[in-house]
Amino acid sequence: MIPTTARPGDFVEVHLTRQIYVGTLLESSEKGIVLLKLESGYNIGLQKKDVLEIKVLKKYSEKKTEVDMKKEGKKPNIAMIITGGTIAARLNPRKGGVDWLDTPESLFKFYPEIFEKVNVLKVEIPFMKASEDMDFKDWQKIAKTAEKLLNDENIKGIIITHGTDFLHYTSAALSFFLKDLNKPVVLTYSQRSIDRASSDADLNLQCSALVAISDIAEVMLVGHATSNDDFCYAMPGTKVRKLHTSKRDAFKVVNSKPFAKIFPDRIDKVSEYNVRNKNKVKLDSAFEEKVALVKIYPGQEPEILDYYLKKKYKGIVLEMAGLGHIPTKRARLGWTKKLKEVQDKGLIVCATAQTIFGRLDPLVYSNGRELLETGIIYLEDMLSETALVKLGWILGHKEWAKDKNKVKELMLKNFSRELNDRLE
Amino acid sequence: MELDYKKLGLKCGLEIHQQLDTNKLFCNCPSVLRSDEPDFIVKRKLHVVAGESGEIDVAVKHEMEKDRGFIYQGYDTICLVELDEEPPHLINQEALKIALQISILLNSKIFPLTQIMRKVVIDGSNTSGFQRTILIARDGFVETSFGRVGIDTICLEEDAARIVSREKNNVVYRLDRLGIPLVEIATAPDIKTPEQAKEVALHIGNILRSCKVKRGIGTIRQDVNLSIKKGERIEIKGFQDIRNVERAIKIEIERQKKLVEEGKSVGEVRNVLSDGTTEFLRPLPGAARMYPETDLPLLKISRQITDEVRKNLPQLRGDVQKELIKEGLNEDMIRLLFKQNKLEEFREFVKVLNNPKLIAKIILVWPREISKREKISLEKVESVLEDNLNEILEKVSKKKISENEIKEILTKLVKGEDLKKAVSIKKENLNVLEERIIKLIKEKPGLGINAYMGLIMREFSGKVNGKEVRDIIERNLR
Repeated sequence: MIPTTARPGDFVEVHLTRQIYVGTLLESSEKGIVLLKLESGYNIGLQKKDVLEIKVLKKYSEKKTEVDMKKEGKKPNIAMIITGGTIAARLNPRKGGVDWLDTPESLFKFYPEIFEKVNVLKVEIPFMKASEDMDFKDWQKIAKTAEKLLNDENIKGIIITHGTDFLHYTSAALSFFLKDLNKPVVLTYSQRSIDRASSDADLNLQCSALVAISDIAEVMLVGHATSNDDFCYAMPGTKVRKLHTSKRDAFKVVNSKPFAKIFPDRIDKVSEYNVRNKNKVKLDSAFEEKVALVKIYPGQEPEILDYYLKKKYKGIVLEMAGLGHIPTKRARLGWTKKLKEVQDKGLIVCATAQTIFGRLDPLVYSNGRELLETGIIYLEDMLSETALVKLGWILGHKEWAKDKNKVKELMLKNFSRELNDRLE
Repeated sequence: MELDYKKLGLKCGLEIHQQLDTNKLFCNCPSVLRSDEPDFIVKRKLHVVAGESGEIDVAVKHEMEKDRGFIYQGYDTICLVELDEEPPHLINQEALKIALQISILLNSKIFPLTQIMRKVVIDGSNTSGFQRTILIARDGFVETSFGRVGIDTICLEEDAARIVSREKNNVVYRLDRLGIPLVEIATAPDIKTPEQAKEVALHIGNILRSCKVKRGIGTIRQDVNLSIKKGERIEIKGFQDIRNVERAIKIEIERQKKLVEEGKSVGEVRNVLSDGTTEFLRPLPGAARMYPETDLPLLKISRQITDEVRKNLPQLRGDVQKELIKEGLNEDMIRLLFKQNKLEEFREFVKVLNNPKLIAKIILVWPREISKREKISLEKVESVLEDNLNEILEKVSKKKISENEIKEILTKLVKGEDLKKAVSIKKENLNVLEERIIKLIKEKPGLGINAYMGLIMREFSGKVNGKEVRDIIERNLR
């Protein structure tokens, strides 16, 4: 191929031995391939080795469009924290990469509807990441940004847009990190990319805007209640889990109820929540990184726990079967002895349910009682993911971490609705 | 008055959409249309976003209506893919191969590397807000008695959901049709007269029917693109019957002639009405409504696949007809064979029993006869036939039953007897059976009925009816 000055976006002629194609040159993610948008709009690929020459007919020039944001004094002010994920990513086929929606203008272009209800006074971007790439340090950054915005009296509430995969970990973390919460903290997402007219982001954001200016002073996740585009749920940040890989209503409340049903134009209260108040929010985001979540499976060797001790882990959440069972002395590979041993060496061991739904009860069967006697902290109906985050948070406080009884007491104390003593 | 099309500068091209007879294009749901009550409904809205260039396509803009809702009717034959709740699966290979067959039969050049595109459609007929479409081939042709007509492009795409009703703020769609593979053939604007348009449509139709495509009303749809000198391009959609093409073109040319004279010709999409006249549907779409399907990789159509398809091309209908006549079928039978779309079945059965005339009669005529005489639905008869005919024919070819008995056996099956029973009596001549039983009783006198039964049943290993055997033994023991 003759060297070419053609760049993605240029209108070009691509010469092959027996054929000339005219179209817009695109960036190709695959090596050795020239991607071309034909005038009909279809894209085709051409092997670079077959291309003789690419002639530029017209260079690409970016069109800048002015956006009128419709800012009005009368509408309530909110702030947004944008962290990445599908809801803030837009594929740019010309570049082959992702464009982030990271300015109020770009948001407005995609979601004009939220601006009808509220003024987006501030947009903060602590980082841009897919949620599966986040860890506790990112939760701390979001919490810090949120604290500042929540203590700004010009702002009625905040919306945090976030990827879905690990969203429920972030929502649990913020529930513990933001003490004395005064205003709504809304986390929302999209499961369908925002370039398509069917994106769930539209309803999720409209409902989020309504919740952000409501009187619900909780950390909550707002998203589709069903596959329909009619209403969302506002779900408690510690009691929610992604339960489907792709559906709009992937997030479900587990062992609790949503706070409210959110329609684009009204809120129907479902259960009790803390109301808006004049507190000053305090950031409390200490975190112990050396915590783990382990799912127990049939035939698993208890020696795996030695690894965590060796790696200086301070706490571990075991996701157990049924009411809180794993193999005991009567089984070929019993865990009882090893559990006693690692706890004697200082590892905090908590138990949650693999079944996701329901409460643990180690007293029903003899093997449960045997496990309980080793000192395991059975976390009632707490979600495994929430338990992991809470354990990291509790152990992050040195004054608590040094005393196992204190840790147990706090793990079983309700900080942010993570425990529910009446399951319906 | 006959118009002088040459003088008018008529340029006309056809766009033909044909459903393929496979499962859906991007999921494994069956392509069946439903007329029963839906199992569930889903309510959705679509909202338009600006494309990559920041502009909204004119055709898309036209479809925009604020606060319009869509109600989708779903069935147990619909999965999360049609509901826009799961990413598309990899493309249906069978549908792709049929599209390649059609491309080759239309002398087109296949793109070895192409991208699955999303064409923005926000009238609600696609739950996703777009239709997936793939450019498969280009630059083919068909020969007509008026000269060669080029085939510009051949695309493989998903069919849209069917509209059921329009309510005040809602449009109701049924999801059964959404995702059925559709081949779109666009001819070049080489067609010079309405008569030629009809010929091209018929010719392409013949080629399509030689491949594995759906048959019947609604499975093939034609659009016409036309312009006359100084006029803009008009697209007329929605022909279900080829006979209307010619008439509608003539009427539209008259309309265009007037508009051009008044300087009012505008490019647009129009819908054909039953009387051949047309009504405005929407503006012509541009390239701005297409962007890549990012959930799927580039589609590579390897030389290997193309070669395989080339080796297994279906015969065209004319050639098949000649062969069938050679095999002894008359024209009525051949017509029925095509009409009932049973060529493949016919071929399969002839392999089992080489009697083409009989096979044709069995699969084309008998089901209707039996259905009528026994007052049992044709579907039931056909399904019994489908389940059992192969085995029956095998037995005939092994001379275990005679050709004359087939109809009686089929009738028994349709009435609910199982195959073993229906055939058993025929399998063994009862006289032979009785002779054997008499001989057995002589050889081994003094045994009980059950012992004789056991011996005989073992010997004839299920080819005989137990009750029949017992009767004969009892009779001979007396």
